[in-house]
Amino acid sequence: MSTSQNTHEQTQFSKQADLTAKLVGLHVSKYNKNTIFLIILSVLSIIGLIGLIVKITNDGFDNPAKWGYYVTFVVFLLTTVQAAPMVAIAPFIAKGHWNRSISKVAQLFAPLGLINLLLFIPVLCVLPSLSDGRRTLWFFESLKMNAYMPHIITLISFICLVLLGIALLWISTVPDFAVLRENSKNTYNKKLFSILSNRWIGTSKQWFTQKHRIGILGAFYFMTLVILNFQISSDFAMSLIPGWIDSLYPATHTANSFQAGVATVIIAMYALRKWGGCKDFIGFDQFWALGKLMFALSLMWVWFFFSSFIIFWYGAKPTEKAIIELSMTGPYFIPFLGSAFLLFILPLLTMPFNRIRRSILGPTILAFFILIGSFLDRLRIYVPAYQLSDHPNKHNFYLPDVPKTILPDIPDLMIIVGGISAVILTYILLTKFIPVVSIWQQKELSLYKIHKKFHRTEVLVLGKPE
Amino acid sequence: MQEHHHRTDKQINTDLLSSIFSTPKWWPIATLACLIVYLTGMTAFAYMLNKGVGVTGLNRPVFWGFYMVNFVFWIGISHAGIMISAILRLTQAEWRRPITRAAEVLTVFSLIAALQAAPLVHVGRPWRADLWVFPYDFSRGIWINVKSPFIWDPSAVMTYLTASSLFVFVCLIPDLAIIRDRTKGIVSKIYGFLALGWRGTPVQWKLQIVAGILLSALVLPVFVSVHSIVSWDFAAQIGPEAWHSTIFAPYFIIGAIHSGVSAVATVMVVMVWLFKWDKYITPDHLDAIGRLLIIVATAWFFFFFLEWVYALYTLEGPELAMRELQVFKMPWSAMFIIFVITAYLFPVPMWLFKKVRRNFLWMFITTISVNIGMWLERFLIIVPGLMRKQPLMFNWGSYTPSIVEILMVAMTFAWVLMGMLLFARVFPLIPLFDIKEGMVGRDEIKIGRAKVPASIRE
Repeated sequence: MSTSQNTHEQTQFSKQADLTAKLVGLHVSKYNKNTIFLIILSVLSIIGLIGLIVKITNDGFDNPAKWGYYVTFVVFLLTTVQAAPMVAIAPFIAKGHWNRSISKVAQLFAPLGLINLLLFIPVLCVLPSLSDGRRTLWFFESLKMNAYMPHIITLISFICLVLLGIALLWISTVPDFAVLRENSKNTYNKKLFSILSNRWIGTSKQWFTQKHRIGILGAFYFMTLVILNFQISSDFAMSLIPGWIDSLYPATHTANSFQAGVATVIIAMYALRKWGGCKDFIGFDQFWALGKLMFALSLMWVWFFFSSFIIFWYGAKPTEKAIIELSMTGPYFIPFLGSAFLLFILPLLTMPFNRIRRSILGPTILAFFILIGSFLDRLRIYVPAYQLSDHPNKHNFYLPDVPKTILPDIPDLMIIVGGISAVILTYILLTKFIPVVSIWQQKELSLYKIHKKFHRTEVLVLGKPE
Repeated sequence: MQEHHHRTDKQINTDLLSSIFSTPKWWPIATLACLIVYLTGMTAFAYMLNKGVGVTGLNRPVFWGFYMVNFVFWIGISHAGIMISAILRLTQAEWRRPITRAAEVLTVFSLIAALQAAPLVHVGRPWRADLWVFPYDFSRGIWINVKSPFIWDPSAVMTYLTASSLFVFVCLIPDLAIIRDRTKGIVSKIYGFLALGWRGTPVQWKLQIVAGILLSALVLPVFVSVHSIVSWDFAAQIGPEAWHSTIFAPYFIIGAIHSGVSAVATVMVVMVWLFKWDKYITPDHLDAIGRLLIIVATAWFFFFFLEWVYALYTLEGPELAMRELQVFKMPWSAMFIIFVITAYLFPVPMWLFKKVRRNFLWMFITTISVNIGMWLERFLIIVPGLMRKQPLMFNWGSYTPSIVEILMVAMTFAWVLMGMLLFARVFPLIPLFDIKEGMVGRDEIKIGRAKVPASIRE
């Protein structure tokens, strides 16, 4: 991504103090107080909550088929919002500079996992226990496992992911809290930031520890995310569909999760640039770099998908034919077509063109379509999985008949709209307390980046510390 | 890169062209030894052609043995060049500079070794290999089965070989011009012809850089397709247990990268030992490749875990019996233990230590260990998978390689070694222009009292 380290477009600040003043000013500015928008989001969130209550009271937890769209939405949030912090983690470990101005934009998604954790509780109630005799990675009967192992272990992983995300956000923001503490005039804010900054004064030891902590927490976040994708795709989808054995599916699920995570960050970047006053820091280079990454992940997703598909198509066993019909050519053909078009064909047709790739709007529009494609991809798997979760043939490991299409009901739609609104609302509220552009990372970058005369031209010299 | 030895253009030319303009004492001996092993292998091959495949250990139902293992192994090693060269070039990783050429050349020789190892051998009558390309019989409308991975396979490998050779050649052009200007007579004319009139004008540089980037981007899909198709040789079949798995394509690719990047690290160490290029390939480079290997190896181990766990998930008797055979029955169990230890459990914990990553001897040992493990991995996939009785096979079988097969395996190793040694005598194994560019593009930034290494960007 080093081409994107070229930050011509962004404003250059001659002094560190100017940069600090600008970033602190950005944080305390009024952009995040658009009351009407916040009220609309609050109302929609409440509608979502009402939808959830209606769903629980009307449908109960005894009929999993009714919960397919709900599970799809929860998994969609997991694979978008909770994958977004990876955009901050991977380049930090690789010591890239290009993502410094957007690392906080990505990390701010981590606490939103709390909302998804709450939404995950009904999913646990819907998932049947292992006593129904289905295939499971827990080898329930042979290893004499607890019948609720998928529920217990996935919940633990979910909690770990959320806690790691919050810890990562906090640790990486501590120096910024200290700056805000020093610059706050309001007593309440000063007190709040004093607590949050955890007596940070910026000693060499503190910096050393902080960077190591970010690296370690980031690595653990990545591993937990991969494990959670593996658990969710296996225990909450694959094992519910009789006869479906696809050892690559957890990796496909994870690849799509990274793709959707990048798309989520791109959309947040666009919003913050357009309405959040971050134009000086979130520029063309960040969109370009993330656009390329998103395209690379699209290619990776399609390769994984095709690798699975060709084995099923070539093998052509009755079970394999049934699985292809269930998730692709049969009742969920339209979502499949939509996901294939939006996740692969559209990026392939558009991203090779420089005018689209090297722009701000191009990657943003594409990111939006990729999010829709990801939702459709989840839908074509999770909705039929919950339709089949009480299928009588589960013990035969074979799917003789493919069920009909299920459409979402009104509470499902209320939950989806309300859930998305709650996520956006919480993100905006978080930006009131946490700077969306990392102050310390920007200041550090200004030290590592100098412009220098080189023969007859001027070049950018970029420091790369060990 | 913290450790930096500044070298002038003249010093770089002298150092890196030393392998061409002077002959070390060990070179003829090493090349001759490789040639003898290679010719012995070729003799064994000729013997097999004369007597038939009955002289090998291949039998019903184990139709694939050492040859196929070796084929997959060398295809895997060939992934090193593109992984190191194309990906690191596209991401502009500075540490790639001294190792790209050796990695690309390793790719080319490994691919040729792979072609020697299996496809022609398995045809039985290699002179009829043309039937892969042309229909058997036009008049009766008998065409090759284009739906078969065995047809995709040679196409993909040949495309990869063409693309890799082109990649090596394009990146060699500026260096060929340097050699042209330092040689006389017919030799100079040959290098001049190969240098395609290179004068180093801005337009030529621009074209060369663009060509390098374009080839990097174009060769990447080929790189992915090659080993995916190799994996489908196995996975598309529903007969042998443990083969019909969706994960095979990415599992083979990541395994190939693991094995290939390890081979590049081995080559780097050998280059330093043989040609004394320690000012160009430093412990920093080994450190960087060691870190990359930790990530690649762990990703490979994750796919290995998925492959195994979903095999057990099937709960199908034949599949479980096959896994039991691999893990609990001798000699497969011993091989399995050696494979897991050498491919992952020994090298990766070692690479976690910076001292190991920066030590030439340790990196040599650990990366060789990876390739021992990865060769065994392919053996454990192919042979036990075939030897169990299957629905379409009426008998059980076992496999013991014959001396002919062992000699032919040795032949492929000798081929790659000999190829690298010969290449080093004719062309620079470290790209001179890339090193010079790195020297020019290198800078330092002063932050307080500290000096931070930096690089110049456009």
